[in-house]
Amino acid sequence: MAKQTDIQISICGSAGDGTIAVGDIFKRAMARAGYRVIAFDHYPAEIRGFGKCISRTRISNNQVYSMKSYSDVLVSLNDLHAIPHVGEVRDYGAIIYDSAPMSAVAEGAHISGHLMPGHLPYALPIRELSELATGANRSRNIVALGFIAGLYQLPQQAFHQAIAAKFEAKAPAVADTALAAFDSGFKSGSSTYKFDDVQVGRPRARKNGGEVRMMTGNGAIAHGCLEAGIETFFGYPITPATGIMERLAVEMPRRGGRLVQTEDEIAAISATIGAGYAGARAATATSGPGLALMAEMLGLGVMAEVPAVVFVSQRGGPSTGMPTKTEQSDLNLAVWGGHGDAGRIVLAPTNVEGCRRCAARAFEMAEKFQVPVIVLIDLYLSNRYETVFLQGEDNFLPKNWQRVGSSAPGDNYRRYELTADGLSPRCVPGEAGGIHTATGLEHDEYGRPNDNPDVHSLMSEKRHEKLRDAMKYRGINFTKRFGDKGKIDVGLLAWGSTFGEALEAVLLAREEGIRCAAMKVVMISPLPSRPILRFCNDCQQVLVPELNYTGQFANLVSGELGRPVVRVNHATGAPMDINYLLTAIRNAAKKKLRSKTTTSNPTKA
Amino acid sequence: MIPEQPVYLEDKVDEIRQSGRLAYRSTALPTWCPGCGYYSMTEGLVNALTELRIKTEDTVIVSGIGCASRFPFFMDTYGFHTLHGRALPVATGVKVANDKLTVVAVGGDGDGFAIGGGHIPHAARRNVNITYLLFDNGIYGLTKGQVSPTSATGFITPTSPFQNRDAPLNPLLMLLSYGASWVGQAYAGWPHHLSQLIRQALEHPGFSYLHVLSPCVTFDKTDRTYQNLDLAVRELDAGHDSSDLAAAMRAAADTSTPTLGLYYAEMRETLGQALDLIAARAAGAQRIKRATTRHRRRKAPA
Amino acid sequence: MPTSTHHVVLGNGIAGNHAADVIRKRDPNSRITIISAGALLFYNRYDLPNVFRGRHQWVDYLVHPPEYYESQNITLRRKTRVVELEPQAQTLSLAHRETLHYDKLLIATGGHAYIPARLLDDVGLMHSFHNFRVAMQVQSAVRKNGTVIMLGGDVMGLDLARTIIATGHRVIVALDNRTFWPHEIAQSERARYLQALESMGLDVRDHGKVDHIEAGNSKGPARQVFFEDGSEIRGDVVMPFFGLVPTVDFLATSGIDMERGILVNPQLQTARDNIWAAGDVCQIWSATSNAYRFYYGYRNVKMMGEVAAYNMTGEQSPFESTVDEALEVTSKGLLHSPFWEYDQRG
Repeated sequence: MAKQTDIQISICGSAGDGTIAVGDIFKRAMARAGYRVIAFDHYPAEIRGFGKCISRTRISNNQVYSMKSYSDVLVSLNDLHAIPHVGEVRDYGAIIYDSAPMSAVAEGAHISGHLMPGHLPYALPIRELSELATGANRSRNIVALGFIAGLYQLPQQAFHQAIAAKFEAKAPAVADTALAAFDSGFKSGSSTYKFDDVQVGRPRARKNGGEVRMMTGNGAIAHGCLEAGIETFFGYPITPATGIMERLAVEMPRRGGRLVQTEDEIAAISATIGAGYAGARAATATSGPGLALMAEMLGLGVMAEVPAVVFVSQRGGPSTGMPTKTEQSDLNLAVWGGHGDAGRIVLAPTNVEGCRRCAARAFEMAEKFQVPVIVLIDLYLSNRYETVFLQGEDNFLPKNWQRVGSSAPGDNYRRYELTADGLSPRCVPGEAGGIHTATGLEHDEYGRPNDNPDVHSLMSEKRHEKLRDAMKYRGINFTKRFGDKGKIDVGLLAWGSTFGEALEAVLLAREEGIRCAAMKVVMISPLPSRPILRFCNDCQQVLVPELNYTGQFANLVSGELGRPVVRVNHATGAPMDINYLLTAIRNAAKKKLRSKTTTSNPTKA
Repeated sequence: MIPEQPVYLEDKVDEIRQSGRLAYRSTALPTWCPGCGYYSMTEGLVNALTELRIKTEDTVIVSGIGCASRFPFFMDTYGFHTLHGRALPVATGVKVANDKLTVVAVGGDGDGFAIGGGHIPHAARRNVNITYLLFDNGIYGLTKGQVSPTSATGFITPTSPFQNRDAPLNPLLMLLSYGASWVGQAYAGWPHHLSQLIRQALEHPGFSYLHVLSPCVTFDKTDRTYQNLDLAVRELDAGHDSSDLAAAMRAAADTSTPTLGLYYAEMRETLGQALDLIAARAAGAQRIKRATTRHRRRKAPA
Repeated sequence: MPTSTHHVVLGNGIAGNHAADVIRKRDPNSRITIISAGALLFYNRYDLPNVFRGRHQWVDYLVHPPEYYESQNITLRRKTRVVELEPQAQTLSLAHRETLHYDKLLIATGGHAYIPARLLDDVGLMHSFHNFRVAMQVQSAVRKNGTVIMLGGDVMGLDLARTIIATGHRVIVALDNRTFWPHEIAQSERARYLQALESMGLDVRDHGKVDHIEAGNSKGPARQVFFEDGSEIRGDVVMPFFGLVPTVDFLATSGIDMERGILVNPQLQTARDNIWAAGDVCQIWSATSNAYRFYYGYRNVKMMGEVAAYNMTGEQSPFESTVDEALEVTSKGLLHSPFWEYDQRG
């Protein structure tokens, strides 16, 4: 039987050690070799200095949904940074470190004194090997990479290609140096006796070809935008969403698209709404603080029925909060932010591939339903890498959604015609016969200001009724259940990046014999209540894990369904802790047992 | 003196119909107070569009909030009535989406210089090819007469009952220093002059800012009245050189006498041109990069 | 404020680990660090012949699970080599340029295989058996029904030979004056003992000194051993079993008194303050022999570790061997060494 592969490797060093760079080569090489990759890097918050960097990469044969709660291998390029992370390595996992540091270290400052008894040490003269291979100590990171590749017999060729690609833009000598360093580490790794039980099997051959790409959530969003034929983008830099704009700034002009960095988030959403009104596929991207500024203009988009796409990557809040830490605390703002009854579509992808799909589909939905669509992710999803399998031609390009409704352009054109499904014929500037004024005032079918009670009532209904149809949209799975089928003890209802950890926890709990399942909810607004209720009815206990303090999604769900749920909140700035979640599942399963015994007692008595 | 020929209404209506001006006017009745300067501005814009033969469906009027809010509704062109202070960024979005459109942003002094003040420098420096008609009556008319950023010091309003103590902004000087590529001033009481300046502003390729002085006939009976303005305004000197930024700034700095006319105009790359250039560069980027690499490689062996 | 004593044990073998165990019992608050050159937790080297019986997971050889170290609060530093001892400063210099301070030091670094000088050039062609990794290498190098050539044949080698033969392989012993080391066999008795070796299934050869070793060609066995008398033996592996030498190279500049091993008094203390030694590395003063002498075998080594630990924690007990050290031929005509007796649990 082929060996299953599911290992997580952490490389820890300081900013000057090339930690993130070598992690990048590692994940690209593994993706090249055909493994599935998911990776999340830790950077120092400060721009300058030698802060701690950790590159964590999980590689597997099968689709996985999150990082693991532990690592199988830790590489230390800087012991002071790595020592606090020794504990994340599992028993019989490996710790690779430099056995010959450049200068003497104080007692207790070398990592070898901090290994736990279950760890397997690999003391490697990393610096010396780098100097021997390249004449300098700068390639320590690549030597360590080569050692890993050699020790676990990973395909050398894939690494060579990834290294060549990484240094393509530089002088050939740079790549040659890196290759020499890699090969020296590889040789050392190949001849080292492997004591740990970290197993790497062969990658699984994929059936239907397609291109494999390493992408971050931000990169996948940019990719989805391009696949959807985005025409205009207006944005203002803000962590962690800036990467979306940076990627688009490179790619959009090549395709004739237009990108403008605006003076603030208000201008960004205003111009996006303006461009959407003028018929362009338009988007902006921001984080919570920017979304707060955008709330009023989103209301105009709802009122004037203008398509626009807003990507929001959440970070720790409130206020400036923790800009480089992750959190899911802008759900309320995304769903309800703004004044008046301003229903909009909110999508929350759960992984990188989902980011791409939701981004691309968001444009179509915005146009079809003539409403702003928010794609809500968080820093963890923005910055984590996953392999994305691009297949065939993209089918995200615009379709002619404008021509819905019966009122044709002409003398009696009614931009806001009341129709059965609430969708009206949309004309854009430049089209004769479609002239109208879009407005934030309540208006009649022609778009003329009108505050008659009947008009407000009918138009409010129209604006919300059309969103009901959005739940029938078929381009995205808005909910999906994983794990045990039928009646179960514990169900996890999860959204956004946390779904990955939720599913991992469910898989672990099932191994312990707990009947449980996880449902991902991708459409947050309007909430697909029916499948969610069906799922909840199958569960003895419903847990809603979220990266926030108040349980914003739990509030939304329990309010909408009128059913209590158990909140599992984790507001630390880090992704959801799988063990914490697993404990919550165990407790919920026990509670269920207890409630069974207490209900059976009275019948006995 | 030659006695004036009588003008008959039917002839005048015919003349107006034939001019094509009515195509730009919607059937909705304006909601402005009788005597309001916005009538002049509407008339001026209609005349300018008519003269330039710009199609109604290719015209987009963007307004914010204030007495100008409803401007688009009285025009039979595409219109977008947006949020308080946001006419300029929305208009920028419209123009970026479709360069073929003629985009006009309209708004008052509160909309433009109070809540929306942050957007003006950026529209100006980007040189987005739109026209901004700013109607300055030194008051918040729609909310019934509160003090505005261009109200005179000493002005008494419901929110400045003990006199306004703030100094008024100097919009022309601001726009000139922001780098607006076309800056002019008109007066609602001089409708023909206003109309001509609007036409020039529409014709200018780039961001054109026309400051329109106007009385608020309802809430300002003392300061900026037709009587006072009629006496105060002058045309710019015949010798004013509109390519001389320093001269334009000197004229703008003289607040004792509001002078009307084209202060400054320059031709420079518009946002649309810049975005086209970026697209062309991006498309060619690959070629440029490869060419340099080849060059370097050829040199290497020597 | 009571400061806890830092006990440092050099060596991760039987003596060192039993010492650590006793120190922990007698001084629950002290800091204990075991320093090991190897990568693994304490495992039973006496068990290693079992690699020939299919025990290929090192975890199966562990004396304690990883949790033991946590519950005992013992720090085990593996892959750590000591390059220098400074008794004055009470510090150890480690190869990775860290300096470690100790309050009490036990040197239990054991011994390593003795290689006669004439064979040093051929070390690369010989297999040793001193740790799990090399044991596994030997096991995989020996083909099915293959041949192991033992040079010398000391008491460790003969122990291993029993298992190799029992698992269907052939063992050739090339005799040497260190055969049976450390047992000393009177010349008159030697024939009887060689006879016993043959009864155990060993192929006993007496070709005199080895001249050199060569790698075999790809078809035949991997090694060829040439003797000075012109004869030649072929086998899959060649293993030197000429007895042990104490591992004391890092003590060269320490000023510790040494002969072949570290010289200690019956309380296992060296002449330097706060330094004790135990196990195969030390030579203990014997009043009866009027000399410093070695004691071998599991039970002796374990006892030394325990005695040293008692004395490091305040006692003054002398080491007394209770092990009968003579090699004997059993009633079935087989060999038996008291040094082969060990506790499976370490």
